[in-house]
Amino acid sequence: METQYQGSGYRLPEYPFETPPEIIEGVSKRYRVVIVGGGLAGLSVACDLATRGISTVLLDDDNTIGVRGLASRGITYAQKSLEIFERLGIYDRVKAKGVEWSHGKTLADNDVVYSFDLAATRLSKQPPFINIQQFYIEWFLVDRIYELGVTDLRWSNKVVGVQELSDCIRLDVETPAGQYHLEADWVLDASGVNSPIREGLNLPIHPARGQDRWCISDIRFKLDAPLERWTWIEAPFNENRAVWQLPMGDGVWRLDYQMDANADLDAVSNEGVVRSRLGQQLGEDREFELVWVGLYAYRTQLLDNMRHGRVFFLGDAAHVMSPFGGRGGNSGIQDAENLSWKLAMVLNGHAPQSLLDSYQAERHPAAIHNIKTTSRTTRFLSPQSNAERILRDAVIALAREFAFARPLVNTGRMSVAFQYDTSPLITHAGNAVQNVPLVSSGGTQGSLLDLFAGKNCFLAVWFSEHGLTPKQIKLVKSLQIEETNLHWYIYSSIGRNSIELMDRGGGLKQALGVVNDCVCLIRPDMHLAAKIENPSASSIRIALRKSMALEI
Amino acid sequence: MKLDPNIADPDGLYEALVNAHAGLSDQESVALNARLVFLLANQIGEPTILYDCINSALRSVHKNNGRGE
Repeated sequence: METQYQGSGYRLPEYPFETPPEIIEGVSKRYRVVIVGGGLAGLSVACDLATRGISTVLLDDDNTIGVRGLASRGITYAQKSLEIFERLGIYDRVKAKGVEWSHGKTLADNDVVYSFDLAATRLSKQPPFINIQQFYIEWFLVDRIYELGVTDLRWSNKVVGVQELSDCIRLDVETPAGQYHLEADWVLDASGVNSPIREGLNLPIHPARGQDRWCISDIRFKLDAPLERWTWIEAPFNENRAVWQLPMGDGVWRLDYQMDANADLDAVSNEGVVRSRLGQQLGEDREFELVWVGLYAYRTQLLDNMRHGRVFFLGDAAHVMSPFGGRGGNSGIQDAENLSWKLAMVLNGHAPQSLLDSYQAERHPAAIHNIKTTSRTTRFLSPQSNAERILRDAVIALAREFAFARPLVNTGRMSVAFQYDTSPLITHAGNAVQNVPLVSSGGTQGSLLDLFAGKNCFLAVWFSEHGLTPKQIKLVKSLQIEETNLHWYIYSSIGRNSIELMDRGGGLKQALGVVNDCVCLIRPDMHLAAKIENPSASSIRIALRKSMALEI
Repeated sequence: MKLDPNIADPDGLYEALVNAHAGLSDQESVALNARLVFLLANQIGEPTILYDCINSALRSVHKNNGRGE
């Protein structure tokens, strides 16, 4: 994405460069984990590992957040990401700064031809979406990483070379104080679309570019529209091309305009042209402040393997997709969470290195799914032939009149957590479990996340209508001793350790889809690892060990 | 996908289609057919049947144009 106009913008923090110990002492050092890139994915994985007690070195080529200026980039953070923010300890700040929403509408003239409201399926403490400028998320993550105090954040450290050695990765780093190199057992590459590491290792990404161009105009003004996602496919105030209207923090709105495929890019993003286009939509007499203007084009790319030996690729370094539905940023955050709990378990000696193979097995299908989903949206928004336009016109015309055609209108399918049902770690499950609110016997408000008690562990919840038999209680006790990565809860109104009383609305049962007595194993990333009916010691142990890639 | 006769009143259906297109420009006819496709698809709903129908229709077009399989 390219910044065309730096408007009145925002003031972003700048972080000090400190001369690295390698340069001061004149020696190379070896680290367990080095993260490259301080964007959404890099900061998320640094923060996530820090909360699990793993110290890392993070190299960022800049000295601020928001990448070279004030690029707003991602703005929509979906429920799964918000739940991750809650666990990382930044959710309250995100909620205070951002705009909660759940309702989206697609309009043709004044007719609503498609709408969705995800509030109806919400069981989580977190809302379906919060819109907020991406740099705020990064800012809060940096603050939190400093607060946790175990991460070596190195600003203005630019990776310029990568080399695979027999038992580690060597990175060459350029800084204002000169060049140095360091060695890492594991490198987590979150350095974005143009990753120097991916390029240095010569890994193909199969790039494809679209013809369509969009011009983002972030503006600050008072708009009486509801806090919803509105999209027009054929907006009369944009020469019958698409327009997006989304609220975000600080009273700023994002208006995103589809440009003519043959448009002169300098001309369409010229400040005067941008202002006149805004005037057409908002009314000529409307006062507004231009915060930021940027252009982007569709682009997709994907690594065949998101792991290359000791290097893991996260976020845009691994996959790039069109922005519809907020799938880019949200999937980077989920990459980070998926890798963090696994890497922490491996580094702490609780799981074998083969657990790390499941990062590719789980996140690569998620990336394929996201690219497929966003590519379908781009195809709807930019018909590539006369026949495609005829089909789309038919859909829009029918959708004005008939409800049946509305689901065919595609202005983006919003990001939802991916279901890992093909993962080798999963036993007939894999869906994300929503962060259901729970209330303690003392009346304290909490949620499912609190049951992890800050540990990098699995939850086992035994749903038992009539309470556990003495034999079953004995089974739980013996598993508590044998399997230290498992926290047990009994879901029954009878007996100790009961969480049924905490689940007053029955949301947890609903979130887990529990009908009969069973044991549910919930992973540290709140995905359901297994649902075991007729549980026995061996079936529980097998499911747990499978989900940690341990030998059964 | 059904390939045996299933239309209760074939002559009546054909007449209704022809009548619907009568007096329309080529562009309007194409628009009518596109709308019909979506309306009929919604009556069927089942993806495998719909994809079979799409593939069979496409094969028929290719055959008529001598493209074969």
